[in-house]
Amino acid sequence: MFQSLMINVWVPMKPYYTQVYQEIWVGMGLMSLIIYKIRSADKRAKALKGSSPAPAHGHH
Amino acid sequence: MNENLFASFITPTMMGLPIVILIIMFPSMLFPSTTRLVNNRLVSIQQWLIRMTTKQMMTIHNKKGQTWALMLISLIMFIGSTNLLGLLPHSFTPTTQLSMNLGMAIPLWAGTVILGFRHKTKASLAHFLPQGTPLPLIPMLVIIETISLFIQPMALAVRLTANITAGHLLIHLIGGATLALMNISMTTAFITFVILVLLTVLEFAVALIQAYVFTLLVSLYLHDNA
Repeated sequence: MFQSLMINVWVPMKPYYTQVYQEIWVGMGLMSLIIYKIRSADKRAKALKGSSPAPAHGHH
Repeated sequence: MNENLFASFITPTMMGLPIVILIIMFPSMLFPSTTRLVNNRLVSIQQWLIRMTTKQMMTIHNKKGQTWALMLISLIMFIGSTNLLGLLPHSFTPTTQLSMNLGMAIPLWAGTVILGFRHKTKASLAHFLPQGTPLPLIPMLVIIETISLFIQPMALAVRLTANITAGHLLIHLIGGATLALMNISMTTAFITFVILVLLTVLEFAVALIQAYVFTLLVSLYLHDNA
């Protein structure tokens, strides 16, 4: 399966993946960085909300 | 009613397994590969359409920009086919999800910006200041141009999401109104039905136009930077 993948995908697309799309790979790295930051902030917020179960508005 | 309205936008699962990847990969099955010198009718029509689109979109670019032809044509085919398939009843449209549109917009926009900075650094930096600006306005205008540059990927993604989602919601609402009005007054229901038909025709156009606009803007950003 990997052999057919190599022949049908990698060999025709090699100049694209290695030269033309270099900047797009960097863009994808930037996007994954943004996703990682958002997910970790969300996890931190959820952990904070879970560890302090006291309600935000106290009973006056 | 509210629950039903937004139910078509949740990521689909079948017996607990997410099938959204299969749905995203489905439109590629509708474009068979060209294996022969003279293909069958479907492939010939698709090839003719793709050639026409490629010629239309790629003539403005120089040699370096034209290396992106494959990416841009794949983009317009994918967004166009996904949007059109979403007009079928009870189907899921991946382009209604902001996450997916951001996933398309951010790498492509960042690719064009990095390309510009890498190959034509001075010209790319010069984009931050329009020609003929009076001297006192320069600092403010550079800030405004920087903000407008960073807004570009957000605008690309949100434009596509909002247009397709709004269209689908309108169809849901007006279809529901037609059904509800049938018990009350047939004339009003008929008028609402005519509105629904016209809206569906509009949505066909919007599906294709939004694909074109997305790709055209990426192509424009590329033209500025390549």
